[in-house]
Amino acid sequence: MKRALNFTGRKRIERKNVSLQFKKRNNKVIGFVIEKIDLNGLELPDYALVYVEAYYRTELKRFKLGTIDSLTFPFEGNLDGMAYPENSKFRILVVNPSDLKILAHADKISPDEMTGKNAILPVQFTDLGNEIWRVEYEGDEGSPILLINEKIPPNFTRQDPQFLLFVYPAVLREILTHIVFIDKIDSTTEPTVDWHRNWLKFTQELGVEIPESLSVDDDNKNRDDILEWINKCVEEFCNKYSEKFQEYVKTFLGEI
Amino acid sequence: MIALRYMLKEGEESFREFLSKVRENHSIEKPDLNKEPFSKEFLPGIIINDGVTFKTKQELAEYLNEVFETSGVKREDVIGNKGLWTWLAYIWFEQITNNRKNILKRNEHYICTSPSNYRRYYIHLIAPPYIIYSLYGLPLSKLFVYNPPWEINDFTERVAANQFLISHKNIIEAIYRLYFDESCGRPKPGAVSGDVEGSVRRFIKVIQQFEFTYDIYSMSSDQIIDLLPQEFNRWKNLKI
Repeated sequence: MKRALNFTGRKRIERKNVSLQFKKRNNKVIGFVIEKIDLNGLELPDYALVYVEAYYRTELKRFKLGTIDSLTFPFEGNLDGMAYPENSKFRILVVNPSDLKILAHADKISPDEMTGKNAILPVQFTDLGNEIWRVEYEGDEGSPILLINEKIPPNFTRQDPQFLLFVYPAVLREILTHIVFIDKIDSTTEPTVDWHRNWLKFTQELGVEIPESLSVDDDNKNRDDILEWINKCVEEFCNKYSEKFQEYVKTFLGEI
Repeated sequence: MIALRYMLKEGEESFREFLSKVRENHSIEKPDLNKEPFSKEFLPGIIINDGVTFKTKQELAEYLNEVFETSGVKREDVIGNKGLWTWLAYIWFEQITNNRKNILKRNEHYICTSPSNYRRYYIHLIAPPYIIYSLYGLPLSKLFVYNPPWEINDFTERVAANQFLISHKNIIEAIYRLYFDESCGRPKPGAVSGDVEGSVRRFIKVIQQFEFTYDIYSMSSDQIIDLLPQEFNRWKNLKI
């Protein structure tokens, strides 16, 4: 991802100042809800117009929230007619209506999940034949998407301890391996690819320290350290879900 | 006539195998993939004409658009079904290879990759003409569907593969007005050339700069064209 210098005077609306969530019915995304957009401190004129755009590939839907002095929340928008509503990204624009110049913006916003964190692994239920799951690197900038066989009920994939324990640690291992050995991540502190950065942050949140370098030299000098780091991440991830493991073990003991 | 199907993983693999063989030997027989486990019937049941002839991508897109509309199938229900597009490429293989005289090198022209990877999705020979035509109709989609079904379309690869451009109707209208010659039914000469002033390649770069400054969505195609610098003057002569 190339970084662009901002010569336009546009102000950036920070992600933390936006609260946006998907609205679902029967586990399907049907719209979104914005709880807040905090524009305080940006010194924007009251008459400026605020828009939200939901987009994904050829699809784009724009919603007018009104002028800054008339904003009311929550704001609800429906994503009818979008081919992939669950993959929608959002863009917020504050525009001067007289010359159509952008005064402030936020882009590539992913909705908060129930936990309040951004989704770093979109899930798609699809026809995978006899395969249960697969990771495809087909999202933005080659980011991972977890494909799950559509014959498996979505609730099962979120609740069944066996599914969670067998699938997600393997997914994590695959993605970290991909980041290092296939994509060859360019920096551990400032990766230029957004999704690399998000996944590194995720490993930090698991309590695992990122090695100084994740670049694999020709002589594979770092290889063992990197593999050990990946193992540690998977271990900590499993520890985080130890209750699920206990639940799984109980099935052998006949307690469930 | 045949019931519309979508390709499954095994069918995709067999089709891939066929593609590599047919490039070596044009006379080999196409395998029968119109049965499980290779493909599955699309629901609701739709009958399509496997022997229909399309002179252009536009005819192909119009045909599919009519078939889906008549059957009550919405655009958003099919555009992400990569198995469907792969199967259509399989069933109309002779059409989209000019009776095997123009078989393209990359399998992605025939086998649809994940729709979430738009850069590769847009090199498929069947999905993009329908996706763009069903989104913008005529005349705006003409640049993307004017040529024969077996040819690559430069505008699709350059414009449709860019999320910002393809999702803005006013930008597509500006591109159509600047670069399509209605009297000839094709793009103006030099429209996609790299070394021609104001070609679509330059247009893309200029719009990408405007995108940071202006609320392009709120502009008309006239306003977008008016914003363009002098190098685009020679292209600014078509009104719709």
